[in-house]
Amino acid sequence: MNIRGVFIEDTFAEAFTMRVARILITGHSLRWVRAAALKLTGFATSVIGCKVEAGIERELTPAETPDGRPGTSILLMTMSKDDLGKRLIERIGQTVLTCPTTACYDGLPEAADRVGVGSALRFFGDGFQGSKIIAGQRFWRIPVMEGEFLVQEKFGMVKGVGGGNFLILARSAEAALAAAEGAADAMASLGGVILPFPGGVVRSGSKVGSRRSKTMIASTNDAFCPTLRAVTQTALPQDVNSVLEIVINGTDAAAIALAMKTGITAACREGVVAISAGNYGGKLGPHHFHLRKIMDRAAV
Amino acid sequence: MSEGVTARLKASLAQRVDFSEVLAQPWVTLSAGGIAERSVELERDGRMPLGELFEVSGSPDGRIRFEGDLARVDRLGAGLREGLVTVDGPVGNEAGLGMTGGALDIAGDTGVRTGAAAPGYKRGMSGGELIVRGSAGPEAGAAMRRGLLVIRGRAGDRAGLGMIAGNIIVFGDAGADSGLWSKRGSIAALGGITPPASYTYACTYEPIHLRLMLLRLQGRYGVRVRKQYLNGLYRRHSGDMAELGKGEILEWTAK
Repeated sequence: MNIRGVFIEDTFAEAFTMRVARILITGHSLRWVRAAALKLTGFATSVIGCKVEAGIERELTPAETPDGRPGTSILLMTMSKDDLGKRLIERIGQTVLTCPTTACYDGLPEAADRVGVGSALRFFGDGFQGSKIIAGQRFWRIPVMEGEFLVQEKFGMVKGVGGGNFLILARSAEAALAAAEGAADAMASLGGVILPFPGGVVRSGSKVGSRRSKTMIASTNDAFCPTLRAVTQTALPQDVNSVLEIVINGTDAAAIALAMKTGITAACREGVVAISAGNYGGKLGPHHFHLRKIMDRAAV
Repeated sequence: MSEGVTARLKASLAQRVDFSEVLAQPWVTLSAGGIAERSVELERDGRMPLGELFEVSGSPDGRIRFEGDLARVDRLGAGLREGLVTVDGPVGNEAGLGMTGGALDIAGDTGVRTGAAAPGYKRGMSGGELIVRGSAGPEAGAAMRRGLLVIRGRAGDRAGLGMIAGNIIVFGDAGADSGLWSKRGSIAALGGITPPASYTYACTYEPIHLRLMLLRLQGRYGVRVRKQYLNGLYRRHSGDMAELGKGEILEWTAK
């Protein structure tokens, strides 16, 4: 399969089931919404080193938020339910509670599985906190020096998918970067997905384990490193000199498939040789996104 | 699509009628005939089925609409626990008395002690939403424990008297001694209010939870909320200091 002269390899991305929460942050202005969102989603690229994967899903207009102020939607994902609750409390407590003018709401109100967040953060109020029940949901009003921090008592959590991906194999670093930027931009407006890595792009794709250390969970994906072409079993065509990866997490497989199709379509441009994907032979993750099937239809 | 049950007043009421028993028990799945059999008590003529006074029609879907001048109907929605009850005009005293859930939406004025505690009981409303689109008489929300009472017009004296918790939003002027003896709970006064002397001014700020409540009123009940109330600043008065002092009056103030 070729798209605008770019070869689509007959392979698949292998992804995992994760737990996901959607966090809505509102504030006086987008300046403060973004400030909180960037802090909350900082250092959240991979569960391997960060315990959590998070990203901004999209910005919300005042008409889309619970309190009628500008806002943003964030997806935060972990490998287990227990972890999700802990990470929500840590991150909202340290990055949203602290940020001027912001409030924080659950973005998955229909989720049956719920975890206490405001119910834990309220203790910062040292007994001065109060709560309000609005439309059947409890919200905590935590007094802070600025005024009050409003946070919903419980957040919904659902099963999501983490680790959707594709690799951009390009003739030059410049071409790989331009294609990756185009792909990330194209996917930015899609709902239900996040790109947890910097700018949505990963340069350090990994393989499972390590040649040298038994304790390392992951190490460099040498088969896709151009500088190692001569010393390892390379997976790269001869004219490829740079590879970038886009990792996509989402609320469900369909959202990831649509994002992959959108991103790959945008990445197929001058200077790109092929599109590939990362997998572990299909033995680790239950979700397989076959590139050619995805590019043949809107969703899998 | 069903429009629920409608109860239309057959003739003007010449005496007061007590509705305490009409909606206090589960009713949302009752047929029109079943609701017509619920008892009311007339001031002079004693008990009789609701159907003697009202033409009850329609099919059950969790909603009931009362039509006619119900200014002489007392305790409409008393003990309400479910469903949506709408009234297209005024009602008498003690509407929504001790209600625990559901929604009671009254287009006109209400008499005394709207959403308050039943005689001999310590707690008034302990859940649900009570919307008065007109004005409410004295002691609305007295001893309220939980829930939301909205008064689109003016509130009589002593609104929220002895509130335990919950929320009262008054769009018009709030009467004297509103919030007196409150333990917790919030009174948001968008019109004028003079907090009791036992309240203490804390600060002027923007309470975000109030935006949530006002937007819900706008979205769920179509209550028009001016932008100045959504974006405005509120003077927070803590009280009643003669009680726990954990209650508040949020007095809207122009920026």
